[in-house]
Amino acid sequence: MSRAANAAGGTPLISVDKVNKRFGQHHVLRDVSTHFNAGEVAVIVGASGSGKSTLLRTLNRLEVHDSGRIVVDGIEVCDNQRQLEALRTEVGMVFQQFNLFPHLTVLENVALAPRRVRRQGRAAAQHNAMELLERVGLKAHAHKHPFALSGGQQQRVAIARALAMKPRVMLFDEPTSALDPEMVKEVLDVMKQLASSGMTMLVVTHEMGFAREVGDRILFFDQGRIAQDAPPAQFFGEQHNERIRAFLGQIAH
Amino acid sequence: MTLALFPWPAGWSRQQRSSATILVAIGVLCLLLWLLALPLGQVTEPIGNNAQHFAEGARVTVQLTILSGIAGVLLGVMAALGKVSRIAPLRWLAGGYVWVIRGTPLLVQVLFVYFALPVLAPALQLSDFSSACVALALNAGAYNAEAIRAGLLAVPQGQMEAARSLGLGRWHTFIDVTFPQAFKVALPPLVNNVVALLKDSSLAYAIGVVELTNIGNRVQSATFQPLPVLATTATIYLVLTTVLTQISTAVERRFDIEGKMP
Repeated sequence: MSRAANAAGGTPLISVDKVNKRFGQHHVLRDVSTHFNAGEVAVIVGASGSGKSTLLRTLNRLEVHDSGRIVVDGIEVCDNQRQLEALRTEVGMVFQQFNLFPHLTVLENVALAPRRVRRQGRAAAQHNAMELLERVGLKAHAHKHPFALSGGQQQRVAIARALAMKPRVMLFDEPTSALDPEMVKEVLDVMKQLASSGMTMLVVTHEMGFAREVGDRILFFDQGRIAQDAPPAQFFGEQHNERIRAFLGQIAH
Repeated sequence: MTLALFPWPAGWSRQQRSSATILVAIGVLCLLLWLLALPLGQVTEPIGNNAQHFAEGARVTVQLTILSGIAGVLLGVMAALGKVSRIAPLRWLAGGYVWVIRGTPLLVQVLFVYFALPVLAPALQLSDFSSACVALALNAGAYNAEAIRAGLLAVPQGQMEAARSLGLGRWHTFIDVTFPQAFKVALPPLVNNVVALLKDSSLAYAIGVVELTNIGNRVQSATFQPLPVLATTATIYLVLTTVLTQISTAVERRFDIEGKMP
């Protein structure tokens, strides 16, 4: 219920307007325009190299877009360092390779940013971190270092770490692609739980089951353009787009 | 060589063992510098009657090493950051510094700081000890810069991306995420450099600093007994580097989270 209610609230949380990005000769994003509402779960799919990860990374300026305009929660994505750091506290990100800080314990990984950016005391930050770790089912591992955890556990810590900043939107960049098959479910379960709590989520993934079940929208990227933007029922239903049919056929084996 | 001198209780954590080893090694070093004259005094001539001189020389050698070692690590960090900087003049400055220092002999650098700098600017007239410290720090800094730069380059890009995506600013990204990981990688070559520094401090002898090698040489030329004198001098260096290696190995263990060290 909360999701629908949030989604109805006026201006979009993220708006992307005619964004272009090139890597040398390769035109990765071509005039991409779309917007995302608060509380929405948007799943971004497409072949590798189609620009889906790049779009995600331009939203918090891990990639710099060449032209166009991106506004997140009223903050334009630009080079102003202050503005950028403010923006990044609102946008959590989960990476394919987890990118946990290997020299810190699980608890320190989760508590670091709130302590440094939000200037929370150590005790308060670690208390919140513990709650988040409990939420992702890893409270018992709080004092271990990342190397001692499985891939699935590390990714759940990475989700907790991003959530610790209390972001308004969470970006997931192929969060299960680097995992052994038996660990995919535990990560997806945490993401489902997060979606049902009303979090705004943008998820780049090849997990079509997740897309169908949890997504409010499916965006299909093809050669730097959004080729289709449809609800899951429509996307996975009678699909008229030839390339999407081929793509879905390949994914399903 | 690293000796497993300290069999700590099995229940102690890696950090506790490391801290304990560092504390004990520092304690041993202090005791050694303070009381070195006692064991040396027991040795026959020409060592016994010069025991105080050897002890004083060892103290000066360690002072030179510690002061220029700390300054050298700080210089190394700055030069390494300069070399990986996005600002071109900083890269040139750091690159030029490393180029000049690595390309010229340390002995020339020591002589240059002591004799030539005051000619350039009379205000730079330093004492022999200070000159030696400056030259050794500059020298160590250049070699440390390369070790630390290698460490910085070894930290995966994803670490910086994760830090930035959490809203950490440049300073915290560096001090909380990049530097600790880079330092761990740089540590073995840094230790190499510090051990080399302890031995290279003997070149301060050329400008008259009364450090260990200088003492050894003075006693040797006064007594014409090179074998016991130089053997003693070498042994004191060996003991000092051994203690130093114990400290640095303990620091490495502190960073060895995965337990890769045997």
